[in-house]
Formats: sequence, structure tokens, C-alpha cells
Amino acid sequence: MRNKLFALLLLTATYATAQDYKIAQPGYTFAFPQDYFNHEDYQTEWWYYTGNVKAADGHRFGFELTFFRQGVSRAESSRPWFVRDLWMAHIALSDVTGGRFYSEERLNRSGPGVAGVDAQTGLVWNGNWQAHIAGRGEELRGVADKFDLALQLTPVKRPVVQGQNGVSQKAEGAGHASHYFSLTRLSTTGSIALDGKTYQVEGTSWIDHEFFTGSMAANETGWDWLSVQLADGTELMLYRLRHKDGSIDPYSSGSYVDANGKSQFLSFRDFQMTPAPDNWTSPSTRAAYPIRWHVSIPRLNMELDITTPLKSQELAGRFGTSYWEGAIDVAGARDQSPLRGVGYLEMTGYAEPGKPIIPR
Amino acid sequence: MGRIALLYRLILRPLFRQPGRALVILFAVALGDAAVVAIDLAGDAAAGSFHSSMETLAGKDDFEVTAAGGLPEAIVGQIARLPYALGVSPRIEDHAMVVANGETVPLIGVDVVAEANNAGTIIKDATAAQGIEHINDPDAVWVTSGLGKAIGDRIQLLINDHAREYVVRGLIPDSAQMGTDAILMDIGAAQLATGKSGRVDRILIKAPDSGNFETWQSKLQQALPKGVLNAQGAETAANRRMLAAFRWNLRMLSGIALLVGAFLIYNAVSVSVVRRRADIGTMRALGAGRGAVMGAFLLEAALFGTVGSLAALPLGRMLAAGAVGMLSTTVNALYVSSRPGAMTISAGSVVLALVAGIGVAVGSALAPAREASRVPPTEAMARGRREFEVRVERKRDAAIALVLAVLGTLAALGPPIGGKPLLGYLSALLFVASTALLAPLVVYRATSAGSIWLRRLLGVEALLASRSLGGSLRRTAVLVAALATAIAMMTSVGIMVGSFRQTVLTWLDSELPADLYLAPSGAMGGDLHPTIAPEVADRIAATPGVESVSRLRAYEIQYQGLPASLAGASQGRQAPRQSLTFLSRRPSADILRELAAGDNAVVSEPFAYKHHVRAGETITLPLGEQRVTFKVIDIFYDYGHEAGYIVLNWDTLRRYLPNSAPTNLAVYLTPGADSRRTRAEIQKAIANQSLMMLSNGEIRQQAIRVFDQTFAITYAVEAISILVAIGGVAGALISIVMDRRREFGVLRYLGGTSVQIRKLILFEAGLIGILANILGVVLGYVLSLVLVYVINKQSFGWTIQFHWPVAVLLGSLSLVYVATVLAGLFPARLAVRLDPMEVVHEE
Repeated sequence: MRNKLFALLLLTATYATAQDYKIAQPGYTFAFPQDYFNHEDYQTEWWYYTGNVKAADGHRFGFELTFFRQGVSRAESSRPWFVRDLWMAHIALSDVTGGRFYSEERLNRSGPGVAGVDAQTGLVWNGNWQAHIAGRGEELRGVADKFDLALQLTPVKRPVVQGQNGVSQKAEGAGHASHYFSLTRLSTTGSIALDGKTYQVEGTSWIDHEFFTGSMAANETGWDWLSVQLADGTELMLYRLRHKDGSIDPYSSGSYVDANGKSQFLSFRDFQMTPAPDNWTSPSTRAAYPIRWHVSIPRLNMELDITTPLKSQELAGRFGTSYWEGAIDVAGARDQSPLRGVGYLEMTGYAEPGKPIIPR
Repeated sequence: MGRIALLYRLILRPLFRQPGRALVILFAVALGDAAVVAIDLAGDAAAGSFHSSMETLAGKDDFEVTAAGGLPEAIVGQIARLPYALGVSPRIEDHAMVVANGETVPLIGVDVVAEANNAGTIIKDATAAQGIEHINDPDAVWVTSGLGKAIGDRIQLLINDHAREYVVRGLIPDSAQMGTDAILMDIGAAQLATGKSGRVDRILIKAPDSGNFETWQSKLQQALPKGVLNAQGAETAANRRMLAAFRWNLRMLSGIALLVGAFLIYNAVSVSVVRRRADIGTMRALGAGRGAVMGAFLLEAALFGTVGSLAALPLGRMLAAGAVGMLSTTVNALYVSSRPGAMTISAGSVVLALVAGIGVAVGSALAPAREASRVPPTEAMARGRREFEVRVERKRDAAIALVLAVLGTLAALGPPIGGKPLLGYLSALLFVASTALLAPLVVYRATSAGSIWLRRLLGVEALLASRSLGGSLRRTAVLVAALATAIAMMTSVGIMVGSFRQTVLTWLDSELPADLYLAPSGAMGGDLHPTIAPEVADRIAATPGVESVSRLRAYEIQYQGLPASLAGASQGRQAPRQSLTFLSRRPSADILRELAAGDNAVVSEPFAYKHHVRAGETITLPLGEQRVTFKVIDIFYDYGHEAGYIVLNWDTLRRYLPNSAPTNLAVYLTPGADSRRTRAEIQKAIANQSLMMLSNGEIRQQAIRVFDQTFAITYAVEAISILVAIGGVAGALISIVMDRRREFGVLRYLGGTSVQIRKLILFEAGLIGILANILGVVLGYVLSLVLVYVINKQSFGWTIQFHWPVAVLLGSLSLVYVATVLAGLFPARLAVRLDPMEVVHEE
């Protein structure tokens, strides 16, 4: 589960209704490479790239590049300016060593080649932010106001389908679910240009791709999601969905991927994500985010402490709500032997919904 | 002797005693100056911002990408994906007429979705509310608050030839700040509404703050088709350049009113110097230096100049209110569509008024003041010396006049300087000066030769009037020269406009061979090219009684930094009839056949003149994303569009700009077809379209009406000059009467009746009028030659056939003459009222 579901729902357009689209239902069979690309039968879809990289001199960065598609109309039109889909994108760079965080967001229609996804060319793009999905890996490019990034991502493992029976359930009831797969470990090389300096970097990335029609359940207020790439070659994905009353939805879940790429579903009962009481308060939105967590997975004998090397990693949204998403450090133990790793943590629903540019 | 005393005796006391003289000077300064201020203000308001209406709602971007006929929309995606952090705003730009009030406003189509990225822009703020919600709604519009609509209101808009209803989804604040009202749509809806599928008209680009302008310019130039990238505001700059010549000529015209005023000030100050010789002599005898005397007179002039200029400001503002409508008609018809902005008296206009007013007043007083300073103390008491001087010098003046006339002729033969007919204006000025210097001789000769005839024909009063004119050349010659200058100006502009009008009439005869003409109803403007749906043209062509339909498609383009119109013209099915007259005098059928043969073009005379293009040369135009080189095979006469026309064959244009909607249709009827019935049939075929159909005769009338509106402003400025001159004559006659109180007193004493005195004054006025008319018409003829063949040609490039507009000239000359005589009525009454006994005893 990732992300700005909430924000995207603000974009809900008047033309298309959920009835025009399919909902994610059990029994879906993923097929690659087709499923890397568009699923126009589903109203909402996203391609999500995060990673931790380092330059030769030790300068550490985190990055995030995301492409969101929100279906607006299913009407056929040959006119390129007709809006069938809205495309939103986020790009963020965490200059961990420099202690700075940069983020931008972007909204476009498909238009005459302005944004979109194309299986023929292997491109997912929004203006000059793009992912080129090729047989051997993926290539990311993003030109932001303050920085540029150009990264080559080579998958180490096969795609992992999240959830059970081809569907990742988010709450009780049909429609509260998505089709969701991840590439949990991609070795990453490339360059990041910042402040007139270009860094040659190396590290690991994570890709999520999710498509669905529908929304969170009415009583859900937000979620905490994290991806962890451990030094022993295994990965972990966990999310918990929070209710208004502070309780956790039983459809919260996760997965564990072993060094051979075999994945294991983790249900609500298999793990605990516990926030530490010391919050970081965003100066711009006044939202208080728990940026220190303890994760306990008795079934895997794992105890992990999650910390962040950079507190200020909030994306203050203009088109939707604000959320915290940033690079994290992981330290802990499995079966008493020490574990280390890096990852990304996302926390939504902490900020008051700001005044979004696009009305409900 | 104190300066204060000097000022008091020489300046202040006479001022209180003779307020009439002061009023004449003030009147001359104020009205002449007001004309200058009015033209300046009205010019600013009518076209002042020069802003292309197409730049409405544009932010502060750095670059813009444009091409004739728009760019293929795919280029928007290409630019959006360039590896630079650019802000990209594609736009559809057109016009819409608000049906309810007939007002034509810019219609701007923007990508409402992408504009959400541009925080803090007017468009984002306006569309934020309901932009995405109505994103695929073809009826959604956002309007400026000046249009008086509320959210949810319906608004009927005529776009091209199609009127329909749209729904206001939001309001754009600050329409005043933008200078114009506007309609905003999403780019998709705008493409549909304007029929511009597949194209965008302009792409605004904001470069990153880092790096300098030139670096980004060269980066973008490499990434884009050649010739489509401009710095933002290129259109406004082009408009400004194009209108510069027009405004410059207008300023010159208003300068003439000031020049006429200068004559009158000169006259008034001269008269006052003569009248105050005794006082000056006394002052000099009491020890006042020459410099002090001269300084006093100049100070007086400066004072009048200041007061007159200050009076000119509100007066000019008033005149400008009348002129602005006429001016904007001209600007719209000949140049670009613009709506007059607000008129404000800025610091600039105050400075202009003061500089012009004080400058002219002091400049005109310079010679009389110097003369005053030369009055020797001993001669101060003797009268009439100055009259003697003038009589002696009139031959020398005439010789100088001859030299000036020769110089004027030479200047007229010179080339334009910096694209402006500077030498032409210098030539006109030299001829005016020459006439002024010739005036004393003419008045003297005419009065001395005509006295006998006058006495025989009109009696003794006429003889006296004539003698008196010849006797006081000092006053009368300047008066005649001033009036003659005003008349000359009226005559010359009258001849120029009359010639132009006749030329246009002749040209229209050959230009308009078809039976019916159709164009979208709505705004008419030099730069507006609304289109007709292509199927409508086909429907008309299929109407019984129609032999063939010629189509014309026009685009507004920029060529070498100046606006121009590009058109593609199709011929009817039958052999083309005469429709254009070419400079080479070759038959138009031959040229049009050649035009169809390849990348050939014909250009209009103003275009050829402005861009120094000759037949056989080539011009390169950015058409869509391409740059195409055309061979200019000939140049045609055109008087409709000052910016100039480039005409291609219809199919040639379509090859580069595929939009097949014409902007104008010319319908030829089958010989012998019932024209009324055919017209009714066509009317039926276009019933759902907002098209205007005009017969040959109607379109001709309309063309001439537009022409006359266009020149309304010249007549208005002329009228002001004439008013200045006539007012000046009246004022001068008053001062003459006051000056000759003694003479009239003696005449009455000797038995002259009041009727005779009145006759005497009216005869003087009449004589001044006749002499000024004769001189004025001669000078006017010379000036009209300069206007037609030098100033017009060098400013606009039009070839005008010389033509005497006899009726107009006779009418206006008689009017001026009558006005001059009438101007003598009040002074005559003053003279009659004088008590002879008291006057004779006074001295």
C-alpha cells in the first residue's frame, strides 16, 4: 500500500464514476511485462520509485519519484486535450548528508504527449520526469527546479505480488482493495546534480506499482507504510491502517522476501509497528509525525528499530494533503544476530487536510 | 531703476489696462498646446499600451513560441519533456464577441490542468475553484469581472461564424489591471470553439532563474524548429514599432496647431512691443539696460506660456475625450484591435504641455523682445519707425523666402531618415516659413495695387481698409501668414485625403469584382481574421445561381519584427476576373496563374515598401513549424491594411497550414441569375451561421465609410488649427481696434458714421481673409504635394493619385472666409462704441 490515495481522491472528477471502472478483486493473475504498464480499466494507478544511494565520497541521498494516474472520463475522444486521465507526479530528494530536503509536485493531463504511459516505448512520464521501463531494468530521469536525477535501476529479484490471491485488501468489503506488486530490490547507479555539483551515486531502489478503483473505508484516517532492504539480502514491506478511534484496521498487512526472492504474506497478527512517543513537528503544516518506530515480527524472530537520518522529509502538498515520506535507517536483530538496512517510511493522515487546489 | 518697477511699468500695467492682448496670447498658447496634449493623450489611450490583445492574461514569462497559423500541438509535449526546468503554458488565442453588447474581447484558451502548477497566477487563481471539475465541459468559460457576469450565468458568445451559449464557471479579477476584458477557456474547449484542432497559437515559456537569458535562448533555439522562438512581448513590440510612425505623424499634425499658435503669439507680442515703445523709451531713458527690457518681455512670454499651458491641460483632456474615439477607430481599422484605455494626465503630459507651451511662447516672443531691447531712449517717443522698417525689409524677406522655398524643394527630394519622413516635415516647415516671409510683400503689393479697384467697387471704406492693411504690415502680415498657414494645412490635408479617397475608390472598382461578399459578422479589425466553417462555403458554392466562390484565408503574422497579414486566395471555377492591380501592370490573370505554380507570393505595396522587397526577391516566413521561402513575383496596390499583405495561392497556403476554413468568401453569380433570389437562397444556406453578406455596392460603401472614419481625426486636428487661427484673427483685430482708437475717433470726428466704421473693420477682416486664402491655397497645394509624395509615401508606402477635391475645398475655404469676416464683428462693435470726443481728447 502506498501513498496518496487520500490526495488523489480530492481529484475525483465529475465525469467518471467508479461504476465505469473495474474494482480489484481476488483471482487476478499478473503477467509481465504487460502489467508494468497501464491498466485503464481501473480508475487509480501509480508507479512509485524510492531509493537510498551514496556517492563515492560518502554523500548520502534518498530519492522519490512517483507517477499517479487518476481516471476522469471513459469517453472515447480523438482530441488530445480531452481529459480521460489526470496525471500527478512527485519528485523529492533527501540530501541526507547536507541535511536538506527538496520536493516538487506536478499535475498534468495526458495532452499531446505531456504525460502518460506507453507500453510501446516503455515510458511512464509527466513532463520531463520519466521512467523508462526496458527489459533489463528501468531508467529514471527527473529535472526539478533545484536538482536533476538520472538513475539506472537493475532488478535483483522478480516482481513480488503483494496481498493474497492477487489482491491487496485495505479494509472490509469489495472495492477497498488494490492490485499491487513490488520490485523490492534494484541495484541503482547514476547521477544526481545538486547546487551545480554532480554526484555519481550507487545504492538500492524499490518500485511499487498499484492499480484499483475505490477508496479507503470511511473510518480510516491514514496509514503508516514502510519498505526495508536489509543487508542480508532480504526485504520487508509493512503497512498499518489507522482508524479514527486510534485502533488499527485488521486488514493491515505486509510481506517478507527472502534472499532468493520468495515472498511470504504477513497478516495483521504477524507483526507490530509501534511509534515512539517523540514526534517531529513540521514547521509548515504543524503536523506531528512519529519518526521513530519499533517493529516486531515474532513469526520471523525479528526486532527492528526504525530511525531517520533526516527529520524534515515532509512533502507539503498543494494538490492534496501533505505527508511525510523519507529515507530511513534500520537496525535490529533476527534470531539474536544483528541486522542492518535502509528503507523508506511513509506516514499519511497526520496533517490537517490543507486547502487543496482542487475541490472535493 | 529697479527691476520690479520695470516689470510693473512694462508688463503688469499694460496687462491690467489691456487684458484683451493677454487673452489673445493665452488663447493661442492654450488652444495650440491643448491640441498637442489632446493628441498625445488620445494617442496613448487609443493605442497607448500597444499591447497585443493576444498577450492578455500572460504572466511574466521569458519566451514565447509562435508561428503563423499556430504550431502543431505535439510541440507542446516536446517542450514539456525537454530536460530543463521550464514553465510551459500553451495557449489558443482568438477573439469572441459578447453578443449582448457587441463588444469583442480576447478569447484565451489555456491548459487549466497544468496552470494549477503555476502558483500565484491570475489564471490559476481564477480557475482553481471549478477548473478541474469542468475540465471536459465545452461550455465552461471564465470571464473578467468587467463583463458583469456572476458564476453560473450564461453568456452568448460569437466565435468565428458561430454564436452559442457558454456558462460562466468563474471570474477573473483585476480586468482593469489587464487593460481589457477577456474570456478564458480550457485549451480543449477553446480548440473546439475556434476550430483550431491540432494546433496551439502560442506557447509561453518561463526559463529557470539560474543561467542568463541568452543561455536559455540558445538552448531552446536548438531544441525548437527554426524561427519560432521569441522573447516575450514580441507582438507588443511589433505593434509599437508599427504604430510609431502613425503616432509620429499625428504628433506632427498636432504640432501644426501649435505652429499656428506661434504666429499669433508672435503677432500679439509684436503689437504689444509697438504699442509700448513709448514706455520702453521712457524706461530706457531712466536707465534700464537692454538686457533688462528684453528679459522683461521674455519673462512675460514665459508667464503667458505657463498659464496657457496649465489651461491647455484640462482643455486638452476635454479635446482628447472627443479624439480618442476617432483615433481608436483608425487604429482598429488600420492596425490592431484595441480598446481605448483610460486617459490620465500624467507627469509626462504636464511636462509636454509646459515645454511646448512655454517653448512656443518664449520662442515666438524672442524676435519682438529683441526688437524692444533695441529701442533707443531718444527715439522712444517717435511713432511709426517700426512700420518703416518692415516696409524696407519686405524685399529682403521675400528673397529669404525664395531661398527657403528652394531648400524646401530640396528637402522634399530627400530620403526618409530612420524610416521617418523627417526631411519631408522639414520641407513642409520651410515652405511655411517661406510663406510667412513672403506675406508682407504680398500684402503690400496686393493692397497698393488693389486700392483703386476696391474703392471703385466697394467704396471709400474698402479703400481705407486696404490702405490700413498695407500701412501696418507689421501686424497684418503676421496675421495673414498665421491664417494662411492654417488654411494651407486644411487645404493640403484636404487634398491629400481627397486624393487618397479617390485612389481608394478607383482601386475598389478593380478590387471588388464579385457580386456578393461574406465574412463572419462581429468585429472588424485589421488584425482579426475570424473564420467561416468550410462546409458553409461548399454549401454556398452549391446554391443555384452561384457560378463560383473564391475563398480567402488570412492569418496575422510577424515579418521582420513587424506585423503583417498572410493570406491564401482561391480563384473561382471560372477564369479569374480582374481582382488585383499590380505595379508591373501585367494582367492579373497571368500573375495569379504564376502564383499557383509553386512557392510564389505577391505582396502589397505597403509591405514591399516597409520591408524593401522588390519583385523577383524572396521572403522567408515561419509557417507552423516550418520556414518556407517564397518568391515575390509581383507587388499589388492595396489601401486596406497598413501593415501589409502577403498573398499566396489557396493551395500553397493549405500545404503549410492545413486549416481549410476561409475568412472571407467572394461569390460570383451565374450571368443572368436573379441576384435577389440567389441572395435569398444563400441566406437560407447560411441561416445558422453568423455571417454578414454584402453586395458589391454595400461592401464598397462600407469600405469608404471605414476610410472616412479613419481620417476623421485629421479633420478634427485641422479644425482645431482653424479655430486657433480664427480666434487669433478676432483677437488681433480687437487689438488693432484698440490700437487705432485715435484713428477711429478722428474718422468719426470727421463725419464718419458708425456704419462706415463697422464696414471698415469688416473690410479689413475680409481682406485679411482673402489674402490668407490665396496664400493658404498656394501653400496648401505645395504642402499637399509634400504630404502625398513624400510624407505619406515614406511613412506608409502608399501610392496616391493626385486629385483636387474641389467641392470639399471650396466648402471649407468659404467657411473659413465667412468665419474670418464674422470674427471682425465684435471688434467692429467695439470700434463703433468708441466715443469720438473722448478718444480724441485722450491723446
